[in-house]
Amino acid sequence: MGQGQSGSLNKHGLPGDRNKDGEKKDKKFEPPPAPSRVGRKQRKQKGSEAAARLPVVTPLTKCKLRLLKMERIKDYLLMEEEFVSNQERLKPQEDKNEEDRSKVDDLRGSPMSVGSLEELIDENHAIVSSSVGPEYYVGILSFVDKDQLEPGCAILMHNKVLSVVGLLQDDVDPMVSVMKVEKAPLESYADIGGLDAQIQEIKEAVELPLTHPELYEDIGIKPPKGVILYGEPGTGKTLLAKAVANSTSATFLRVVGSELIQKYLGDGPKLVRELFRVADDLSPSIVFIDEIDAVGTKRYDAHSGGEREIQRTMLELLNQLDGFDSRGDVKVILATNRIESLDPALLRPGRIDRKIEFPLPDIKTRRRIFQIHTSRMTLADDVNLEEFVMTKDEFSGADIKAICTEAGLLALRERRMKVTHADFKKAKEKVMFKKKEGVPEGLYM
Amino acid sequence: MAVDPTSNANSSTPPAASAAKPPSVKDPKKSKKDEKKDEDLSEEDLALKEQLELYVERVQDSDPGVQKLALESMRQEIRTATSSMTSVPKPLKFLRPHYGTLKEYFGKMSESVLRKYLADILSVLAMTMSAEGERESLKYRLLGSEGDIGSWGHEYVRNLAGEISPEFSKRQQFEEASIDDLMDLVQQIVAFHMKHNAEPEAVDLLMEVEDLDLLVEHVDSTNYKRTCSYLTSSASYLAGPDDLLALDIAYGIYLKFEDLTNALRTGVALDNLQYIKHIYEISNDLLQKKQFSYILAQHGLVLELDDEMVADDDDRETLQDIINNVKLSEGYLALARDIEVMEPKSPEDIYKVHLIDGRASASASLDSARQNLAATFVNAFVNAGFGQDKLMTVTSESSGGANTGHWLFKNKEHGKASAAASLGMILLWDVDSGLAQIDKYLHSNDNHVVAGALLGVGIVNCNIKNDCDPAFALLIDFTEKEDPTLRIGAIMGLGIAYAGSHKEELKVRLSSILGDSKTPLEVLAFTAITLGLVYVGSCCEEIAQSIIFALMDRSEAELSDPLVRFLPLALGLLYLGKQESVEATSEVSKTFHEKIRNYCDVTLLSLAYAGTGNVLKIQKLLGYCAQHLEKGESHQGPAVLGIGLVAMAEELGLDMAIRSLEHLLQYGEQNIRRAVPLSLGLLCISNPKVNVMDTLSRLSHDSDGEVSMAAIVSLGLIGAGTNNARIAGMLRNLSSYYYKEAGHLFCVRIAQGLVHLGKGLLTLSPYHSDRFLLSPIKLSGLITVLHACLDMKATVLGKYHYMLYFLVLAMQPRMLMTVDENLKPLSVPVRVGQAVDVVGQAGRPKTITGFQTHSTPVLLAAGDRAELATEKYIPLTKVLEGFVIMKENPDYREEN
Repeated sequence: MGQGQSGSLNKHGLPGDRNKDGEKKDKKFEPPPAPSRVGRKQRKQKGSEAAARLPVVTPLTKCKLRLLKMERIKDYLLMEEEFVSNQERLKPQEDKNEEDRSKVDDLRGSPMSVGSLEELIDENHAIVSSSVGPEYYVGILSFVDKDQLEPGCAILMHNKVLSVVGLLQDDVDPMVSVMKVEKAPLESYADIGGLDAQIQEIKEAVELPLTHPELYEDIGIKPPKGVILYGEPGTGKTLLAKAVANSTSATFLRVVGSELIQKYLGDGPKLVRELFRVADDLSPSIVFIDEIDAVGTKRYDAHSGGEREIQRTMLELLNQLDGFDSRGDVKVILATNRIESLDPALLRPGRIDRKIEFPLPDIKTRRRIFQIHTSRMTLADDVNLEEFVMTKDEFSGADIKAICTEAGLLALRERRMKVTHADFKKAKEKVMFKKKEGVPEGLYM
Repeated sequence: MAVDPTSNANSSTPPAASAAKPPSVKDPKKSKKDEKKDEDLSEEDLALKEQLELYVERVQDSDPGVQKLALESMRQEIRTATSSMTSVPKPLKFLRPHYGTLKEYFGKMSESVLRKYLADILSVLAMTMSAEGERESLKYRLLGSEGDIGSWGHEYVRNLAGEISPEFSKRQQFEEASIDDLMDLVQQIVAFHMKHNAEPEAVDLLMEVEDLDLLVEHVDSTNYKRTCSYLTSSASYLAGPDDLLALDIAYGIYLKFEDLTNALRTGVALDNLQYIKHIYEISNDLLQKKQFSYILAQHGLVLELDDEMVADDDDRETLQDIINNVKLSEGYLALARDIEVMEPKSPEDIYKVHLIDGRASASASLDSARQNLAATFVNAFVNAGFGQDKLMTVTSESSGGANTGHWLFKNKEHGKASAAASLGMILLWDVDSGLAQIDKYLHSNDNHVVAGALLGVGIVNCNIKNDCDPAFALLIDFTEKEDPTLRIGAIMGLGIAYAGSHKEELKVRLSSILGDSKTPLEVLAFTAITLGLVYVGSCCEEIAQSIIFALMDRSEAELSDPLVRFLPLALGLLYLGKQESVEATSEVSKTFHEKIRNYCDVTLLSLAYAGTGNVLKIQKLLGYCAQHLEKGESHQGPAVLGIGLVAMAEELGLDMAIRSLEHLLQYGEQNIRRAVPLSLGLLCISNPKVNVMDTLSRLSHDSDGEVSMAAIVSLGLIGAGTNNARIAGMLRNLSSYYYKEAGHLFCVRIAQGLVHLGKGLLTLSPYHSDRFLLSPIKLSGLITVLHACLDMKATVLGKYHYMLYFLVLAMQPRMLMTVDENLKPLSVPVRVGQAVDVVGQAGRPKTITGFQTHSTPVLLAAGDRAELATEKYIPLTKVLEGFVIMKENPDYREEN
């Protein structure tokens, strides 16, 4: 195993579970760990990483003082750059680094074996177990980043003396990495008919704090942490979340509540923790939990272990939303259609500050939704959408979409190139019939 | 506020399309597309849009009555529109397509009231419409009626302010263009901002148009503090001369609102004696003047009060006593008694050998002379100012005559000098009893002891001015003696006692020593330093001349002596913080012998710009460090120190300088690496930042002996007077790690002594008043020691270890002592917590965080701030540090 790999492990690897203490923010800037004698003391993350971090610039408002301070930092960085590039020109460090690297490689020995760390004894010694079984008391080499060692983590061991020569970081839980939305959904705000007030609220609560934190600083308030979207099925809750994901440049993580329920005890809460830790690492980010009622129902005396586990998952969620450690640039969007069944603790201000209701569309909105869905359909001249818009039936956005699709299908069935008014009428009957699960309102004409 | 028209969710109409629409939308034959778009709008929006279109049409009517009505209603619509954060107000949006029409029509209009009205509306519209850089909003504003600017909303005002500054700079280029109309507008905007809690914006605008003076008339009693704090903190980032101007304005504002203590601080920051005198003159309140005097005493400013400043003789005497720090010892001891640390500590209490496991404890036998010397220093540092200890004072008092100076004689030769001088440190600031106790050593037969006693006399008088000048009377004769040891002791004592005093007699007497080519080099070096300290930051030509001559006089062999480095240092001290004034001298220094030339140049540069944060100078110093030198050149050490010196001015620069120093460590050669720990020590003096601590801890195990020694001493410096347990633990481990190496062990002991400086009651930080003011005297003491540490083997580890006593100049109790109107200690509850930077924040944010409530006197750590926790008293200064006088609050009512 070459240096390249283990080097990059140390550089970019994400820290393990221990980071629930939330002190790992600056992993990204981490320079190669310096060999230090006092590894354990660096647990507080104040070591070389802290030195490499840029100082915080106050005030947050846009003003000349801030500009001047930023410029000051820039000046210093320019000077550093100048100095370093000068030095590199005069006396390249590469050879030296190369030398050091090969030395480290020698010390590591080859081949290495993989084991797991059982217990840390003192700064330089640990008990390890190899895959074969027996446990050994061995030394930890000085170049291993002791910050990241923790009981239970996978380590690289020297093939003969079994001393710890490196560590394999367990990466992010694959469950969580799947949640990250890599490809933005296609739905944008323009695809939402109506919901103007809802869009504005969600923008104020979720997007603006990430893009313009100074607005809130100006006024002197803390931006809301999260919102919950609730309303009848099919009113556009998920659609709006998609639109948010589409328009934001922040990391967007989406989960469905049921995903958080796991087979083994403790896995659910762990997943929640992991989720929020990833969100924190990749901040600014937005976490979207759909169908939150899967885990967020009111607590009651649970009889089965499964129920208790679900409740524990929710408790972890509560803690992550507004617990002891503050989450920085992580905003949470929850969605449900049964807000009344949720645990009140979940909805208290400070956790979820804004509750956004999605009502069934009114006439204006209905018209807009029809327009959106029919805009790409070829309609016959006789189609009068107003008839459906003005109808007294209760439609949700999803119903309207279903009507349009159904109408299109009917036209296809008859091999027509245009969708006629009659198609729409039929489609409407059909959809309404299915929705009501009952008798049709009228007969076919 | 960033209003992004494209993110407007209300309409799916892409704004670009609507902007591109021909202005004749009101044309009855609307295109089908337009119709469709209108359908997207809700009914009320549609109505509004039609309404506005009607107005636009009517504005172009020929009847002035109709025009006026239309304009009025348009204005009404715009003003009443409430905007959300995310979108453009609707009327503005609907008027966008008509901007061109209106503009065109405006061009055709003849001069009239209506034209002005229209100009107003155009100006508002231009805010969202006009292309980048055209500044149409401003143009129409200037053409329009000069009504209340705020009525259009603050977004509009900000936009205007943003357009003013490029316009201003454009007009500046063409000299003839008048800026009067602009300035009128600026006046209005500033007044508006000031009324609406947007002081930073007002200040920014005025800075842009280079007319900060206007600020004075616009501030009022509610916002002057925020304005001034913004000004003062901007000052440290502005390039000269703007920084001085900002401070000057802040001073003016403080004066206007009779916040005299803050005005005084600003005056001190400006280093303007005239201002300070003026403040004394205009203040009628004796109590307040006492507070001024405390501030000046803390700063170490030497000021002779005259009868214009204080009319009454008795009062003047009291005030002068305060400035002269006569009561400092009393206050310090009161603090010590309150915290119950009067019990003297022995060096063993500090070493805590029992906590080290293994080999270390067994190794004490090595080099006992040096061990004892180290113990002397530790004892002196730890018991500084307490007047009692377990080595020097105890033996002499308890056992009487026969066994006198028991500890003293455990030291060898020059070690005895340091031991005798340590008595001065123990009795620090307590002139009367100090002199009495030291006196017996002055008559010793041993020259080393006498020299030490002379130095001790100086140390006792450090930062204190006494009417009868005992130090001068005692010491001055010894400067002419034969024996160099005696002379050094006396000269150094004078330097410490009279630092910053600009004492004329000393100049006369000591310049002659400088001028004498027969003076031994060591005496010469100490004389130069003393003169540098006494005339610190004075730019005194005469002394500069004599030091320069002395440097030119000496032979090449002498110039390679390590002590020669103190001559350029002394020269630099004369120009400490004086920036450009140094240039003439640094020109002269270019003619020096090549051995000393660069060293001199770098030292002068770094000292002259010390505490300014001047980035250009740091760049220059980094440039020096970037070179790779042949053997024998030593100027890179001072350059590295210089980076620290210049950058320590503000927190940002400090953090960034620490980063830069990391690079120096990485790339630099040994002579640079040796200075890096010292520079870190200077940057974080008495402020144990964890990252710096880690770096230094790493360096303290460096393979290069000098690097590790410097790192160890710096560990002591960053922890000076903090009792920091982590550093103490590190040092204990180091003491067992280096138990075989005498030099290292000595450094470890010194560092241990520093960490427990004054049992944790003292600080070495040269900054005070919320890190706003830099005391040049304290800084000069630090620099001198650090320069000495650049070559430890020759100075601190050699026979000039007493140079460490220069640190006494920087010592200051890190206390908050509240006193009542009769200057008697008064215990009041205060909250002490981490200071928060609140500059430029809206509202009244908390200035401290994570506070605890104590009752005074209390200790303040680096970065701490105190605030009063009771309303019963009113402090006479807002910055609670050092001595603060409390006045009873007449409005206070006891709560039941």
